[in-house]
Parts: sequence; structure tokens; C-alpha cells
Amino acid sequence: MRLTRNDKGPLIAFMAPALIMMLLFFVIPVVYVVVVSFFKWNGITDPEFRGIRNFALLFKDKAFLRSVLNNVIWALVAGFIQVPIAMVMAIILSRKPKGWKFFRTVYFLPQVISGIALAMLWRAIYNANTGLLNGLLTLFGRGDLARDWLGTIETAFPAVLIYWVFYIGYYMVIMMADITTIDESYYEAATIDGATEFQQAIHITIPLIRKTSLATCVTLASVMGLRQFEQVYMLTNGQPANTTSTIVLYMYKKLQEPNYGMASASAAILIIVGIIFIVSLRLLFNGKQETRQVKKRKGGMK
Amino acid sequence: MKKFLALILALAMIFALAACGQSAAAPAAQEAAPAAQEAAPAEAAKEITINFPCIWVGTDSKAAYFAEMVDSFNKENEGQIKVVIEEQTDYQAYRDKIRTLVTAGEVPDICTMDTAADVELYTASGKFMDFTPYLDGGWRDTFATGTFDSYTYDGVTAVIPFESAIFPIVYNVEILKEAGWETFPANWDEMFEMFDDIKAAGYNAVGQMAGENAWTSMLWYSALVQAIGGKEAFENGLSDPAFVEAADVLKRMYDYTFDGAISAGAGDVNGHWIAQDTALYLNGPWWIGNLYKEDNAKDGVLLADVCDVAANPEWVGGKGQGGLVTKVQSFILAAKQDDPAKEAAVVKFLQYITDPDRMQTWSASAGSMFFVNYEPSEDTTVIAQKFAEIKKDAAFTVLAVDANFGPAYESAFPAAVSALVLGQVDAQGFVDQLQTAIDNAA
Repeated sequence: MRLTRNDKGPLIAFMAPALIMMLLFFVIPVVYVVVVSFFKWNGITDPEFRGIRNFALLFKDKAFLRSVLNNVIWALVAGFIQVPIAMVMAIILSRKPKGWKFFRTVYFLPQVISGIALAMLWRAIYNANTGLLNGLLTLFGRGDLARDWLGTIETAFPAVLIYWVFYIGYYMVIMMADITTIDESYYEAATIDGATEFQQAIHITIPLIRKTSLATCVTLASVMGLRQFEQVYMLTNGQPANTTSTIVLYMYKKLQEPNYGMASASAAILIIVGIIFIVSLRLLFNGKQETRQVKKRKGGMK
Repeated sequence: MKKFLALILALAMIFALAACGQSAAAPAAQEAAPAAQEAAPAEAAKEITINFPCIWVGTDSKAAYFAEMVDSFNKENEGQIKVVIEEQTDYQAYRDKIRTLVTAGEVPDICTMDTAADVELYTASGKFMDFTPYLDGGWRDTFATGTFDSYTYDGVTAVIPFESAIFPIVYNVEILKEAGWETFPANWDEMFEMFDDIKAAGYNAVGQMAGENAWTSMLWYSALVQAIGGKEAFENGLSDPAFVEAADVLKRMYDYTFDGAISAGAGDVNGHWIAQDTALYLNGPWWIGNLYKEDNAKDGVLLADVCDVAANPEWVGGKGQGGLVTKVQSFILAAKQDDPAKEAAVVKFLQYITDPDRMQTWSASAGSMFFVNYEPSEDTTVIAQKFAEIKKDAAFTVLAVDANFGPAYESAFPAAVSALVLGQVDAQGFVDQLQTAIDNAA
């Protein structure tokens, strides 16, 4: 549709509030962060221009590099393990098996509890002396496996990550809402053709939610993974030896020093990592969609 | 017509958004109006409100008497001055809040800081009150000689060093006896012999923690550097070999602590100490009050009744005999005021709580030590008296490493400790890691 000159007024008027908000609460802060990242500044005395030295220091700092790696792992786990688990549960519960409402509530419940409270709970579970996990291992005769889960290099990061992966309620509910909009006639036809529930999920449900709620959930989960802070802060504060650190936690520690230049430089890197992730995810989902459409057309020509 | 409607809708949306802003502002304005109306009689009564975000609340050992003082001050000055305490129970959250407020230019009327580095940086903002005229008016004489010497910047004293801390070793006499030790070791070689015996008796010798801010490990490390390198090591900085040697010893001490010390926080260390499965405890005098709490008693016996206090043992061949690790635990600061009456009110309150008689009572009730000169109370506990004796007998004092080397060092310390203990770095690597943190912040 071609816009006429008369369309431009309302169009600008409609877009103006969102653009102003975007400018005030996103563009200006981001530009500010990028500018500060080139300075040495403690927030009190005059800033001192440093060029790219803050970035050079960041890339020499093992704690920061480990934080970036952890965030990337976190985002990948969120997008490609947490969301698929949520999708499976959404598909199962959408078929409304017995007790589905109960399980939907159970899976969603952790979403209404603060992340800090959950982290405290899991800290108690992982406690080396009095923790439930070591207690259960001892109870089942595997006391040899008991350890300081959050204080061991090999187990600390997986321990921080694993419990969080199973908090799927948010994504599950989004996908359930999407699945309920799928026309029942698809499933009826598939049932007549002899398709099993599994086949229906693979060939009907997943393709139909892939570009909508699934793509949304993968993007949301990955972005959440990139900005992890409170769980790590409460559970390990980035320890042992920075093996559980994340970019936001690293940034927080730099703010405490107070080193606003380094903190802003790490924030700028986080923004770049975030953009790379979102663009990659868009390419992934749109690319697959096109392939599937091409396949469908090819199939239709036979 | 459609375009016209679209334009109307767009305008309606903009006005609606604007109205949102107004609707939010309107109640605020409505609230402001009665506030202004109230301000008139309040102004007539000249009541001044002093805002004090404060950490001496909740379970803090200083909380009870401080609350009493605030109440009595407010009663004595009813209608004229009202001190409003904003309770903050988490130390790190408090630090973050004060740092953020000062950076944003929103300095609270009164606040506290706990590091000299913070004090030096934030007072440079020029947003804090200069106490010099009030101190020169006689207030200074109530403080220990030289209290303000290190904290006067460019002729301005914008800070009151308030609570001091020393860190002698508190130990559980019963556990030591059970391990075959009637007296406390005189040197660190004997200390490790004792640690072996304590471990063999089924107890933890010390409470270490590499989680949170690695507080107790930081204190033990400070004590080790002091014993090995003496005052000279702290003057030389991290290049002094005492820091590397002390790191090796600190790592060794982790063999004598409870399981899970790498991920442990202060709560874990305190929990083990209270449960009396750990023999030695290192913390400031503010913890003395907790030794006398019935909640912390075991089988009806107060923790204080099974405890004694010792100075840091000698390091054979070391340079730090008779030394003591100290810290300024809190500094008081106040916002620069435009209103002379409010400035006077703030000073009046600070002079009220730093009155030597009140300090005496406060010290006795909390176990804390202050820079104000006061006679020890008859109610001073036995443990507090022993702390005071150790302080008096100290040949020299050094600041704990976190206070000595600033926030970047403090922030990097927990990671460096866990890396050291888990074998990710050696003792030299531990020191290098901390030096790099300082260099990067410079």
C-alpha cells in the first residue's frame, strides 16, 4: 500500500508516543552508556577520557570472559532446553489429560515467587552440611556423591543453571494459549488418518506454533538468560573463582568499586551480545519457516 | 472520513497519554497541597525532619539502644526536631543505596559509610556538611586524640569516624580443652598443631568463608599478613612477600574449616560458631553482644561463658609481634544543608548520640567500640573488657586488607580466595589477581 501525504499526519501521531518513549527510555540511556564506556569515571569526580582502554581491559579480564561465556550458555540453555521442555508440557496439558489444571498451576507457581526467594531456597538445598540434596544422596546410599555443590568448580555453574531450567511455567502458559487457537479439525483429520498423538504434536502443533509463540518464547528466554543476575548473586555471588559470574553481576561489581567506565563497557558488550542473539534467532526461525513453505509448495506440486 | 477518524484517534491517544501523566501528577499535586497547608503550621512550630537511612536496626547489636536514643531525642525535641530512621538491614544493600544516592546528588541528611576509600571519594563531591566549626567548638575533645587526622581532606572534616573495630581471636575454651589445649597457642606453629588436635577431636578449628564478601577469610588473611610482615608489609603494599606467604597459610587453614566453606557466607560461619562445632572465631566487637544472647546459648550455657579472647599469635621469624588488625567500622556523614536551622538540628542529634555517657551505655549494651572517649561501664561484659585490654596492649595496629586496599580489592577478594583454595591459582597468582583488580580500577 502506498502512503499518501494525508496519511503521514496520523501515522506520525500514532507513532510519536512510542517513539518518544523509545527515545527517552532506550536510545538515550544506551547512547549514554556507550559514551561513558570510553571514560574513567567514579560518578563523583570529573570523567577522564580513556578511549578503548576499558574494552581492552575487559577482554583481558578472565572474570569478564567467563561471564560472557556463562551468559551465552545460559541463553542457549534457556532457548533450546528450557523452552522445549515448556513446549512439551504445553502440548501435553493442552490435550487436557486428567488433572491438567492442577499441573498447570503447579508448573506456573514458581513464576509468582520472587527469584530471590527461590535462590535462597535452592541455596539451602545445595548446602554442603545441611542441604536436602546431600541428605537425599546419603539416604539413598550415595553419600559419596555429596559435595559442596556451589563451592566446587565443576558443579557450581550447572547447579545454578539446572534448577532454573525447570521453571517453565511462564513459557508453558504462553504456548498453551497459542495451542488452544489451533483449529480442532486438523487433529480430527489426523486422527482419522491414524496419526498418533505424538505425530500430531510433531506435524500439526509444533509447526503451527513455531513462528508465533515458540519463537517468542525462545527469544524471551534467551534474553532472560542474557540478563541473569539475582539467582547468581544470591546463590554464589559469581563464585567459586568467578566460574558462575554473569555480565550483569560483573557490571554490578564494577559499579560497586565504583568504576562506571568499566561497568558501562560491560553493559555495551551485553547489548551487542543481545543484538547478536536476537538477530540470530530471527534468522533461525524465519529461515526455517521459508524452508518449510518451500517444502510444502514442492510437496503440493507432486 | 477514515483519515479524519484516524487523526482523531491518534490525537485522543496522545491526549490520553498526556492525561496519564497529568493523572499521576494530579494526585501528587493534591498531596502536595495539603502538605503545603500542613507546612504552614509546621513551619510555625519549626519542626525539622531529619532523614537517616540506618543500618543499626533489626538484629544489629547496636539497634536496641540506638532506638532508645532516637526515641528520647525525638521526645526531648518534640515539635522542633524529628529524626526519622529508614531501616536498612542488609549491609551491602545499604552501601549500594548510599553510594547511589550520593552519586545522584540525593544525599540523606545523615548516613554512615564503612570504608575510608568511600569516604574520601564521596566527600570529594562537596555534598557533605563540614563539621569543622562544630568540632572546633569543643566537640572534638570528646573524641580520642587524632581521630580526625586522617579524615580531614583539604581542610574540611566532613566525616566523623564513629565505630572502631579490632579483631582479636575469640575461642571456645571447652573445645580447646577437649582437644588437649589448656592454654591458647603462643605462635602460629603451635596454632596449626592445635588445629590438628581440634580436627582429630571432631571439631572445625576455624570458620572460613569464600562466599559473599569472604569476610572471615579476609580477617584471617589480614591477621596472617600482620603476623608475618608486620606494619611494614601494609606500608609496602602487595609487593611485600608477606602477602604471598600469608596466602599460602590461608589456603592451609581451609583444611581446618567446615565442609562447604567455599560457598559459605557469614550466616554459615556464625551458625557453626553458635552450634559450638567450631573452635575459633574472628569478628569485630559488635558481635560480643551475640555471645550473651540466650538464643545463642547451648544447653542453657551462654556462649560467652565458654569463650575466651586471645591476641594474634606470633609468627616465628615474622615482623608483626604484638600487632592488631583494626578497622573503622563506620563513619558518620551528613548532607550539606542550605537551612542553618536544619544543619544545627543534625549536629544536635549527632552530638546527642555521641555524648560520652550515652556512648558508655551503648558500648556496654552492644559490645561495640567507639572513637568517643568514655569510661568503661560497670556493665561492660567480660569479653568486651578483654577486647579492650588487647587493644590497649597492642604494639601497633594495621587496617584490615579490605580497608587498606580499597573497594576494587574488596570486590575481587572472594573470587581470589576461592581460586586459591581450589587450586586455580597459587599464592603468587592470588596476590597478582588482587593487584590486577586494583590496577584496573586505577
